[in-house]
Amino acid sequence: MNDAHPEQDWRAWFAEHGARLRLIARQWTRSDADADDVLQEAFVRFWKHQRHLPGNPNALVVTSIRRAALDLHRRTDRRALREQVVSADAAAVANFAPEADPRLQALASSLPSLSAEQREVVVLKVWGDLTFEQIGAQLEISPNTAASRWRYAMEALRRLVTARTYE
Amino acid sequence: MNNEDHDIESALRRLRPRPPGPAVVSAIGRALDAPTSPAASPSARGIILRWSAGLSAAAACLLGFFFFARPTVTATLEYQLVRAEQPPATVDVFAPVRLADGSFARPVRVRWSNETQWEDRRTNTRLINYSPSEQFGLIPMETY
Repeated sequence: MNDAHPEQDWRAWFAEHGARLRLIARQWTRSDADADDVLQEAFVRFWKHQRHLPGNPNALVVTSIRRAALDLHRRTDRRALREQVVSADAAAVANFAPEADPRLQALASSLPSLSAEQREVVVLKVWGDLTFEQIGAQLEISPNTAASRWRYAMEALRRLVTARTYE
Repeated sequence: MNNEDHDIESALRRLRPRPPGPAVVSAIGRALDAPTSPAASPSARGIILRWSAGLSAAAACLLGFFFFARPTVTATLEYQLVRAEQPPATVDVFAPVRLADGSFARPVRVRWSNETQWEDRRTNTRLINYSPSEQFGLIPMETY
């Protein structure tokens, strides 16, 4: 099999994308430590078995993260239903660097208020850089459902940010 | 998607997720530095598969040779001579010619053929060996 990315420096690639990938991993794990483990396992698994594949590696890495998170849940908890994979931890997305802009800070602190399903779609679209179709494939929902969750999330965030900005 | 959604999305993209800890980065670095086992490498797997396919094909050829080539050799040994024929030769005599030393000779051409037929009764096949021949000669002529 030919390597589709022979010149790719994967260490540099990870340095560039590691932060957003960790945020994605954090969506599907219950602690920061788990997110780190999942990210490490997923990226190494991708590097070993899929880095040769053609196309943008981003979607493959995201898929690998989700599988690693599911594996972790299966290992640590028999309740491996998708709903349990979505972290119920409200701090799941409080993983941003502090922002001087109060509106951005309000946005960051509003994300945990979204429902887990909406937050999942938001993270996959914004930081996973996935289309609604790809999100649907990842979450085993239709692209329309993904888009619908996105619209509700945007509406909720707009309300929350407005309220927090003027608090 | 309306403009307000777009604004929120743009603002979200400006948020900076915290990077993974140094322990994760160094662990990934170690994993990337570690030599990959041949079995884990798709290219190595490809080489192994190609070699396996080549060796299998070679083994199949050898088996085919032993199973199919041998009876053919045996069949050749079963041929028996059933007919041998040499039809009468044809002789063409040409006009006399003068040779370089001044003497005369008459050119003669003789043509003949040999034919043998071999038959394998077991397979009901027949091998015909036909070999035509031709020879030129000069018959010296005495002149008075």
